[in-house]
Amino acid sequence: MISKVLKYSFVLAVVFPIVFLLGLSLAQQWQFPEILPQEWTFQHWGNSLFKQGDILESLFLSLGLSLTLASLVSVLAFFMSKYIAYSKYRQQYMRLTLVPYILSPVVLAVTFQYYFTVANLSGNFIGVLIAQLFFALPFGIVIFNNFWNAHLKSIEQLSFTLGASAWQSLLKVILPLSKPAIVLCFFQSFLVSWFEYGLTQFIGLGKVKTLTVMVFNFINEANVFYAALACVMLILPPILLLYLNKRILILAR
Amino acid sequence: MKVYPVLIKLLFGLLIVLPLVAGLSYALSYSLGLSGLLSKGFTLDYWQKALTSQNLWVSFLYSLSIGLVSVVTSLCIAVSMALSWNKSIQQGRLSYFIFLPLCFPATVMAFLVLQWLSPSGWFSRIAFELGFICSLNDFPNVVRDFYGVGIIFCSVLLITPFFTILMSNIYRNENLLELEKLSKTLGASSRKTLRCVTLPILFKKSKMTLLLFVIFVMSSYEVPLILGRQYPQMVSVAIVQKIQKFNLNDIPLGFAMSVLYVLLVILVLVLFGKPSRKYLKPNIK
Amino acid sequence: MSQAFLRIHQLDKQFGQDQILKGINLELTKGQTLSLIGASGSGKTTLLKIVAGLESADQGKIYLRENRIDVLAPQQRKIIYLYQDALLFPHLSAFDNIAFGLKLQKAKHIPAQVNAMLEKLGMQDQGHKMPDQLSGGQKQRIAFGRALVIKPQLLLLDEPFGALDPEIRSHMQKLFKNLVSSQNLTAIFVTHDLKEAIIIGDNIAKIEQGNLIQYDSKSAFYQDEKSGVEDEILFWKHLKNETNED
Repeated sequence: MISKVLKYSFVLAVVFPIVFLLGLSLAQQWQFPEILPQEWTFQHWGNSLFKQGDILESLFLSLGLSLTLASLVSVLAFFMSKYIAYSKYRQQYMRLTLVPYILSPVVLAVTFQYYFTVANLSGNFIGVLIAQLFFALPFGIVIFNNFWNAHLKSIEQLSFTLGASAWQSLLKVILPLSKPAIVLCFFQSFLVSWFEYGLTQFIGLGKVKTLTVMVFNFINEANVFYAALACVMLILPPILLLYLNKRILILAR
Repeated sequence: MKVYPVLIKLLFGLLIVLPLVAGLSYALSYSLGLSGLLSKGFTLDYWQKALTSQNLWVSFLYSLSIGLVSVVTSLCIAVSMALSWNKSIQQGRLSYFIFLPLCFPATVMAFLVLQWLSPSGWFSRIAFELGFICSLNDFPNVVRDFYGVGIIFCSVLLITPFFTILMSNIYRNENLLELEKLSKTLGASSRKTLRCVTLPILFKKSKMTLLLFVIFVMSSYEVPLILGRQYPQMVSVAIVQKIQKFNLNDIPLGFAMSVLYVLLVILVLVLFGKPSRKYLKPNIK
Repeated sequence: MSQAFLRIHQLDKQFGQDQILKGINLELTKGQTLSLIGASGSGKTTLLKIVAGLESADQGKIYLRENRIDVLAPQQRKIIYLYQDALLFPHLSAFDNIAFGLKLQKAKHIPAQVNAMLEKLGMQDQGHKMPDQLSGGQKQRIAFGRALVIKPQLLLLDEPFGALDPEIRSHMQKLFKNLVSSQNLTAIFVTHDLKEAIIIGDNIAKIEQGNLIQYDSKSAFYQDEKSGVEDEILFWKHLKNETNED
C-alpha cells in the first residue's frame, strides 16, 4: 500500500513540472500569493507561433543545428570509433577522447574562443556547429566504443572470406547491424546540442539564438511566461524521442 | 601507406586533440602574459595572483562540495528507489516515468527550481495560503543562497534518474537478487545483506561513474548561472565571468583558472580513468 | 615443385614477445581433409587466420595451386574460415545467409542453389527462419551451407563443433564428411578432440608451442608416442580390465 502511494507520488512529481510549465506558458497574470494564475490566455502561444515569430525562428534554428550536428557526429563517430576500437592503442585513444568528453563545454569554449574569433567563426551558425562538434564528437565516440567487439569483428572478417569487399561488407553487414548504435548516437548527440547553452552563447556571441539562448534571454528580461513557453518547446522533442526510443536507451546502458 | 587509417588519425588529431591542445596552450600563454591584450612578456604574476587568490580556492572548494553533496544525496535516493522498485523500473509503465526527468535540460530544470523556490515562487505561495508565512520575505532564502541549496536541489533532480537507472541496471546485471538470497540462506539478516552484499557491490561497480558525476556537477554552468550568486561562485561561472569582464586584469586570471580546471580533469582521468561501459553522462552542463 | 594443392612454407608469426608460429611447413593434396590438433594457445587459430588472410604473417609464403596467395586480400582467396560460433548474420534469414556469397558473386539461379543446399543440410523447411530461431546445431549447418554453396577452394574450420552436444556433434561430423567428399573439398579441421580428429581427418598434423608436425599417414600418427593415442588405448584397456575383475 505504502509502496503504491509512493509510486503514484513519484509519477505525480515527474509529471508535475510539465503541467507547471504548460500552465505558466498559458498564464497572463499571476500575482503573489495566488496559487493558480488569475488570467489565462493562448496569446503567448499565438504570438510566438504566428505573429512575432522569434521563438518559432529559434525553434527551427535549434532543430537545424541539432539535426546537422547529430548527423555529422553519427557519421564521424561511427568510422572513428571503429578504427579506435580495433586499434592497438585503444586505451590511449579513449583516454584522450574522454578529456573533452568530461570537460565543461563552456570552459572548453573559453579556451579556444580566440581561434574562432580569428577565423571569423564567432557569432555565426557554422562556428557554433564546429564548436559543438568538438565536444559532441567525443560523446559519440564513447557511445560507439562499447559497440565494437570481437564478435562483430569476426562477422566482418567472415563476410570478407565469403567474398565481400570492404565496401560491400560495410553496406550489407556492418551498417545493418550497427543500426541501433547509430540511432542511439544520433539521438544522444541531438540532445547534447539541443540542451547546450554555455558554449553556444559564448561562441555564438548571443547572435545564434537557439531555444536555450532564448530561455535565458526571457529569464533575464523576467519574462516568465515566454520563458516557460520556450521551455515547453525545449522538452517536447526529448519526450517524443523518449517515447520512441526508450528501449534503445535501456539496451545501450 | 593506406589512406583510410591516415584519414582517421588526421580527423582524430584535428577534431579531438587539436581543440584541446590549442585551447590549453592559448589559455596557458595568456595566463603567462605571452598573449592577449595586456601581454607584456613572460610573467608568473597572474599565476601567483591566481594561486594566492582566495576567490579561486573558494570557487573550487565550493564547486567540489556542491558536487559531492549533490552526488551523495542523489545516490541515497536512487539506491532506495532502485532497490524497492527494481522490477517496475526495468519493465512496466514506471520505466517511462523514470526516464521522463531526463528530458529536462539543465536550463529548464533550473528555471523550474527558480519558479518553485524563489521568495515569490510556487512553494512560497502555498506556504502563504496555508498560513505558514505572512509575507514573501518570511520564505527561507534557498535560491541564490550562500550554501547553494537551490543548485544542489536542481542537480539532485537532474542526476537522480541517471543514478536510479544505473543502480537498477547493476542490480540486474550483477544478479544481485540471487546473491541476496544466497546471503540470506547463509544466515545473514536483511540488514546485514544490504550492508555487506548489496551496497558494496553497487558501490564498487559504480564508483567511476560517481566520480565523473562529481566532476560534471562541479563544472556545471547553466544551473549556477540561474540559481547561484556572485559569491561564492561555481568554477565554470567564475571562469566565464572573469574572461568576459571589462576589467582586463581579470582575463589572465580566468585563463589561469581554466588551465587549472582542465589539468584537474586530466589528473582525475590519469589516476582513475578507464574506458568503461558504465559511463553515463548527464546533460547538466 | 611438388603437386601439393596447398603449400605453406616457413611461416613465422610473433605477437609482442611471443613467437606464436615457428617456421611452419605444411602440404595438402586436393580433396583431402587435414585434422590439426593442439592445446589451446598453441597457435592453431592464428595459423588458420593467416591462411584465410585475416592476419598477416611476419615471414613465409602460402601457395594455393602453386599461386602465391599470402599477398592477396581475404576476399580474393576463395578460402572460407569457419568459427566455433556459427556467426550467422543476425539481420538475415537462414536462406539469405546462405545466399549472401552468391549474391556478391552475382551468381545465376540463386534461389535454386540455396534451396538445393538447404535440402542437403536437411533444413529445407527452415529457410525463412531468423538465426535467433535456430538451435546451435542448425546454425552451424547453415554456416556450413553458406560456406559450401560458393564452392570455396579451401575450407578452414576452427573447432566448429566445440559448442555442440555430443549427439548433435556426432551427427554434424557425419554430415561434414558427406558434404566434403561429395564436393571433393579440401579442408583443414582444427580440433582438440583426439577422436574427432581421427574421424574427420584423412591426415593429421599436430601443433605444439608454435611448431607443426605433419604425419605422413594416420598410422604414423598412431605410432607416435606423443600423439596421445597410446594413452587413450591404455586407459580404455585399464578400465576394461578393472570392470572384468569386478
